[in-house]
Amino acid sequence: MYELKTLLPQFDIKLPTCMYELKNVSLSADPATSTSSGGCKGQLRLFQSKSEFSSSINSRNSVTCALDLDILGRQIQHLLKQDDTASIAMRQEKLLQQLEALKTQLGKIRADLGVCGKTVQHTTAYQNGGLKEVPLQDIVINGHPNFIPYALLALKNAWRDLYTVNVKTFTHSTMADIGPAAREFEAKLAKVPVNNALPNINVTLIWKNCEHTEMISSPTMYVPIYGEVNVIRYLGRVGPVEYRYEGSPLCNEIDLVLDICYQLLRCSTHKAQVAMVRLLDKRLQQQQYFGGSQMSVADIGVYSSLIRIPAITDKDLTPALLAWRKRAKLVTQI
Amino acid sequence: MESGAICVHSNMVEDKENVANGEQVSKKGAKKLAKAAKKAEQKAETATAIAANNAAGDSAEDSALGRYGLSEMIQSKDKRSERNFVAVHELSSHLEKGLLWVRGRVHTSRSKGKQCFLILRQQSSTVQCILAVGDIISKQMVKFAGNIPKESIIDIQAKPVSVPNKIESCTEQTLELCVEQIFVISQAKAQLPLQIEDASRPENADDDGLNIRVNQDTRLDNRVLDLRTPANQAIFRLEAGVCRLFRDILTEQGFTEIHTPKIISAASEGGANVFTVSYFKDSAYLAQSPQLYKQMAIAADFDKVYTVGAVFRAEDSNTHRHLTEFVGLDLEMAFKYHYHEVLHTIGNTFTAIFKGLRDNYSREIESVGQQYKVDAFKFLEPPLILQFSEGVAMLREAGVETGDEEDLSTPNEKLLGRLVKAKYDTDFYILDKFPLAIRPFYTMPDPSNSTYSNSYDMFMRGEEILSGAQRIHDPEYLIERAKHHGIDTTKIAAYIESFRYGCPPHAGGGIGMERVVMLYLGLDNIRKTSMFPRDPKRLTP
Repeated sequence: MYELKTLLPQFDIKLPTCMYELKNVSLSADPATSTSSGGCKGQLRLFQSKSEFSSSINSRNSVTCALDLDILGRQIQHLLKQDDTASIAMRQEKLLQQLEALKTQLGKIRADLGVCGKTVQHTTAYQNGGLKEVPLQDIVINGHPNFIPYALLALKNAWRDLYTVNVKTFTHSTMADIGPAAREFEAKLAKVPVNNALPNINVTLIWKNCEHTEMISSPTMYVPIYGEVNVIRYLGRVGPVEYRYEGSPLCNEIDLVLDICYQLLRCSTHKAQVAMVRLLDKRLQQQQYFGGSQMSVADIGVYSSLIRIPAITDKDLTPALLAWRKRAKLVTQI
Repeated sequence: MESGAICVHSNMVEDKENVANGEQVSKKGAKKLAKAAKKAEQKAETATAIAANNAAGDSAEDSALGRYGLSEMIQSKDKRSERNFVAVHELSSHLEKGLLWVRGRVHTSRSKGKQCFLILRQQSSTVQCILAVGDIISKQMVKFAGNIPKESIIDIQAKPVSVPNKIESCTEQTLELCVEQIFVISQAKAQLPLQIEDASRPENADDDGLNIRVNQDTRLDNRVLDLRTPANQAIFRLEAGVCRLFRDILTEQGFTEIHTPKIISAASEGGANVFTVSYFKDSAYLAQSPQLYKQMAIAADFDKVYTVGAVFRAEDSNTHRHLTEFVGLDLEMAFKYHYHEVLHTIGNTFTAIFKGLRDNYSREIESVGQQYKVDAFKFLEPPLILQFSEGVAMLREAGVETGDEEDLSTPNEKLLGRLVKAKYDTDFYILDKFPLAIRPFYTMPDPSNSTYSNSYDMFMRGEEILSGAQRIHDPEYLIERAKHHGIDTTKIAAYIESFRYGCPPHAGGGIGMERVVMLYLGLDNIRKTSMFPRDPKRLTP
């Protein structure tokens, strides 16, 4: 074999302070040789891309270290003897992980800056299957003072220790006067203490001369949600885990009860209303709450709907419903 | 019968007056004078009648002589207090109560054979008048009425009668006036530079009727005529309402109205866009904003002040929303601990103005709406307050890239207005906590986040109408901020000096009256809400 002339002259590299020193993987076993190898000290810089990183390592190796098989052989012997491979492998794994983290971090910075590049796409796809976490939209609920969405207050009370429903009320210019009932409702909403430590959703309640209770979350995708029970469904999804019912086996039951509430609110005659109440009683049977022993959004829906229909008195309710109402009142506090 | 009595009576009054004057000379002389006067009067009357006859080309005897004609110039000779004048919009309460007098303009008049229909206009109200040849009215009289030029001012004596079919072309739809006497008080030129009818025609794009429009410059050149349209009458009555409400609401809250000088020695903001006027041997500037003086009034312990006055901007911008002279409604207020005290005061003032307009000016809003089709102004009570960062987030969600510390561009401003409208259904909202970098040096930075400031903008229909902030009231800090902005502190020494003797923390803002009216009514041009607008290309009328 013949010796190759090094391409770069050998000199001391002044390293910037932003780098940190890593133990030389290959020479760590033999402290004597590691000190003697000088410039080949395992200084590792964190580069923006892996390829750049590896190429620079290669070049430095080739530049500063003449391959000495004897030394290498001795090192391997040493390593085998000390059985240190596991720890090295672990360290390498850790290093690779750190590099990966750095890469995603850089990718994020690029994305934020609006720099478009193939690498960015690569990293986001790699990250978590393209799932993006978007902060929850503030929602707007338009309600007529004659159809007060009591469910908001019921949820606010029921979720007191779980989730903050932060309601701000406004009066739209189409409403000259909102009436005493709505004012009382506003006052009650304001009374519920706000706990900022809990996860929360901001709700803007606007008293407006509109036909239905409607909910708007995003102005760009103007898809209003109509009806109080549907607002309850929405809040049930974004609210605390205890009230999310989609995954529960009672999902269908809860939806059914909410649908009955929807129909109940649309009934125009007392007779039809009583018929709906009877349906509700059938669903409740001897259970503690609608759909089991736990309070759910179905109870919120039924409770607030019954408040909205003063025509239904205690006489129209069965003993089971009356008992339920008492239980629910403890939670909703209306 | 009644009218005849009045005529006799008025003649007697004249006679008496003549006698009274004559007594100083002699009884004989007086009699002579009276006779002469009477003769002269009769002569004049016959002369006008003959003239009318000649014009008509009809020499037949006129039975209605003296019931019509050109009135002599009113020089306040007689009081004529026996003539009971009634406003057109009050006519419905005088139905079947006999004869009455009305003064108004000839809106249109057309005679057809033995009849003449004349629409009388009084400001925004119109009523149909009818003259038909009969016992009282002669052929010549009908002809005379038909030839009165449009826009002339006339006095008529007439009897209101209810009509079976609604008159669609008039504001008084249930009645018409049967004329018995008609006199021209002030005659208009026969040729008008623009027709009121054309100027007040509704601006519907898909109108298949007459499509004659009067363009903006013709309107402004003949503003006196243009202002007579019902829409313009309503606009300026509403504008007066905005000023009145602004004054009333703030006065009620303990504000004091102040008047600030308009001729100033140094440019208050920047210096590029000020008008220079010669001031004896020196030159001076026209005030761009009363801000400095408002702040000095606060430093002088007036606590809460407002001012209504002309503001001048020498900006050569020919847009739909810039004027070189406009009326500024400015307010400044000292607060205790947080500038939101002021923000809420201003916001609530706006809400109160909007409510006042909605409740007391519905007639005006409606008549503007008849010509310019726009949606009613919507607002929330209390006003909606969004953070600047929330606004930026809404824009980003809509796919607009805008920086955190970047000012809203005009298209972004409008888009944000549309987004807010879609979500909250309000045409008025407040944006709070603007980035410090885009605000003037005297703006107080946000104590919790130095990229933001204690400043706010208010928007109507997506256009900025008010820009305000907490001002720095500490002279040392003010100097520091001015230096940071690279402003020569020697030039604003007087401003800084006014805070040296103790000044309460304060905040405020100012609005342009014309812009507020324009946006409230949803009009497309600020010149429509300035009575005699001044822009880079217009100094007259």
